[in-house]
Amino acid sequence: MTFEKIHTENMVLHYGSKMALNNISIKIPENKVTAFIGPSGCGKSTFLRSLNRMNDLIDGVKIEGKILIDGVNIYDNNIDVVTLRKKVGMVFQKSNPFAKSIYENVAYGPRINGVKDKNQLDEIVESALKNAAIWEEVKDRLGDSAMGLSGGQQQRLCIARTLAVNPEIVLMDEPASALDPLSTSKIEELIVQLKEKYTIVIVTHNMQQAARISDLTAFFYLGELIEFDKTKKIFTNPEKKQTEDYITGRFG
Amino acid sequence: MRFTGYELRVLTKRHTTRNKKPATRKNQSFSNSIPQQIKNMENRIFDSELEKLATKVIEMCSQVNQQVNDALTALMEYDLKLAKKVIGNDKEIDTLDVKIDRLCQKIFALQQPVARDLRYILSALKINNDLERVGDHAVNISKRIAPLKDYRQLVSDLGVDNLAKETSLLFADVLRLVESHDLKYCQEIYRRSSDLKEGCEVIAENVLNEMMLKSEVVVVASNILIIVNLIERIASYSNNIAESITFVEEGEIVKHRKKD
Repeated sequence: MTFEKIHTENMVLHYGSKMALNNISIKIPENKVTAFIGPSGCGKSTFLRSLNRMNDLIDGVKIEGKILIDGVNIYDNNIDVVTLRKKVGMVFQKSNPFAKSIYENVAYGPRINGVKDKNQLDEIVESALKNAAIWEEVKDRLGDSAMGLSGGQQQRLCIARTLAVNPEIVLMDEPASALDPLSTSKIEELIVQLKEKYTIVIVTHNMQQAARISDLTAFFYLGELIEFDKTKKIFTNPEKKQTEDYITGRFG
Repeated sequence: MRFTGYELRVLTKRHTTRNKKPATRKNQSFSNSIPQQIKNMENRIFDSELEKLATKVIEMCSQVNQQVNDALTALMEYDLKLAKKVIGNDKEIDTLDVKIDRLCQKIFALQQPVARDLRYILSALKINNDLERVGDHAVNISKRIAPLKDYRQLVSDLGVDNLAKETSLLFADVLRLVESHDLKYCQEIYRRSSDLKEGCEVIAENVLNEMMLKSEVVVVASNILIIVNLIERIASYSNNIAESITFVEEGEIVKHRKKD
């Protein structure tokens, strides 16, 4: 039985008086790619962001129920959010490298976490860039500005930056939606490779992408988790009619 | 009917190996027989799935080839033990048939194949279906061997043995084609299956004449007629498989066209 890395129970989220997520209970296994799909506004990104408390930054957000990571409720009072976000990294839709060198982008996280030794930093940077499948493309120009990289390379650099602080879970919010097909394909291959070491949760509008790369798929609609199952099952024989209607494009 | 040296070697090899453990390739490495076109593809996420599919289709074809060979050998040599083995082995083919169907369904649903990949998977489904039918026909032939006990001479005189040998050669070409996707085998398959179909018609006519002349052979001759018909179907499915592989490689639908 695969270990349940993330486990939510009856999780409810309100933006002020508006309920955005209703009673979400889900068990996300370790070392798998889990995809969240659903139409815009269905709550999938909100749910993803609540897994490393990114919603804390938004006024009026109220969360009930439990969100357990490795069995610990991450909304408990004694949880250090910085430590949590080290453990649960995040990659966003638009690549957002710092206006610094490639090296400094990756070294930034470890440095603020107290790593000072140059050799150790070098090792972390090389390892993170290798894990993000961009090392070969940038190893001879680590001092160059990250802003000179292509969109696809920037996104892989951001993934390397996330990996540099050694997370256990990587959340990805539409990581390939702004990229061309070739860069998308590279990111997708990378995601599949990364699951060996990390638990990946990805939000995507692109159902084909979810089908291609994920092991499990969760379908959200109007703030509810409609169906959660193996990707193969969801895309060949879903249990719920709403899921079938959505993935076949008959929604509405 | 005369055989070339190569054909005789193939036949001899088959006869000398038929009592050994069935040459199913289940446990062998398929890496050498994966179609080159698939080997050459860039390493994308679902290449491993395509390779898995190619391996399974080749495995299916190899097992069906063995079944056809065994059924026809059992027919020519009146080997009921071998016929029984063919009947028993059909379950394995049915299992593989379902596995290939499921794998194709999974690839369609999860990978949205296009272009050559799409043609390959569409054809894999059809080829799988054709192979499964050929496997059933090998079983049906095997079931009709026992009643021929006292009529070995008649079977041979009618030319059924030669028909069986030709069918074995035809299916060996089908296996080579499925393994290599080399279209040079297609012309050979079209020619052989066309010859076989003509041969079947001639024999069917002779069988009917025999039935009219000797009422005592009606029962056995009906069996022979059915066997000849099954062989004709195997030739027809072989033709379909060659057409499917031409579709994969060239994107051309060549069925219903006259083959030169």
